[in-house]
Amino acid sequence: MTELWDQARYGAQRAIQPAAHRAANGAEIGEEPGMAEDLLDGIVGKPAGTTVVTVERGQLQLFADAVKERSPIYRNARAANDAGLPAIPAPPTYPFVMGMFGVYPELQPGDQPDENPMTKVLSTLLAGGGMILHGEQEFTYHRPVLAGDVLVGTASVVDAYRKESKGRTMTFVVVETAWNEQATGDPVCTSRMNIMHRS
Amino acid sequence: MGDSVLYFDDVVIGDEAPVRSHKLTRTDLVIYAGASGDFNPMHHDEVRAKAAGQPSVFGHGMFSMGLLGSAISDYVGVGNIRHFRVRFARQTWPDEELETRIVVRDKRNEGTVAVIDLDVRLVNANGEEKVVGEATAAVATRS
Repeated sequence: MTELWDQARYGAQRAIQPAAHRAANGAEIGEEPGMAEDLLDGIVGKPAGTTVVTVERGQLQLFADAVKERSPIYRNARAANDAGLPAIPAPPTYPFVMGMFGVYPELQPGDQPDENPMTKVLSTLLAGGGMILHGEQEFTYHRPVLAGDVLVGTASVVDAYRKESKGRTMTFVVVETAWNEQATGDPVCTSRMNIMHRS
Repeated sequence: MGDSVLYFDDVVIGDEAPVRSHKLTRTDLVIYAGASGDFNPMHHDEVRAKAAGQPSVFGHGMFSMGLLGSAISDYVGVGNIRHFRVRFARQTWPDEELETRIVVRDKRNEGTVAVIDLDVRLVNANGEEKVVGEATAAVATRS
């Protein structure tokens, strides 16, 4: 995910790029649809990375503050227990950012795909201009994510498609990440994101 | 908040959760960028956002979903959400007053679990939808 936003940083500067300028740079407009077709071929089902995350209480409090969540349950372990939870829980959208923190290098699995297929598609499209937008987001929770959890997130591309609208091409890539307890393999939550590039 | 428990027995279809309102600031977006690891400059760097053709920095879609998620979980009980899904309809802008709209659409039993389905939205003061979606929660029962 970090690589995607790195690309988006540079992509912002290329967001406004007239077709004429692109043609002047040698890109053949007629070739673009063909290139895009290749980009999506075979991408569905590809793995998009596995991450082992240690969920830390301080990070949960920081995130709760950031989304203006005021409940003491996210800050005070006794309040969490009084609410029937074994530990401080994560706010509902925390699983989206979970893979950014508590990623201890010594716990990560050795065998990783060389690149994230979603990042590859979107950054390739971004190199030709346009914008990356988060279209949809979905979470399914088997139990709340809790401080102290050590979870394994396995991501894969589950869908990829294109739509044309008002002269713009929109390319969608859907990535699903299943988060399970490392110790037991029990499912904790699933996160599904639909990210799109708009030409 | 957090003191009153929502009981399935008391829920009526059409019930609305208390509206939560927040005026978006640029500082909010800096705080969220740090807490989420999303350093896309569109959300915190006014100079680069304008250079990219935007009127100003705009909010992370996930920040909006976070605001909404917070209101939902406080209504149904922390830890009770089973499913939460939204589409991002419009960008959010600094100084907008963002309001949650949470309405009970259904109440039902999934086996032994008492469940409620909610229509959820984040809108601005003009009623423009920023985030639109749904959530399902397993809530406490009196018996």
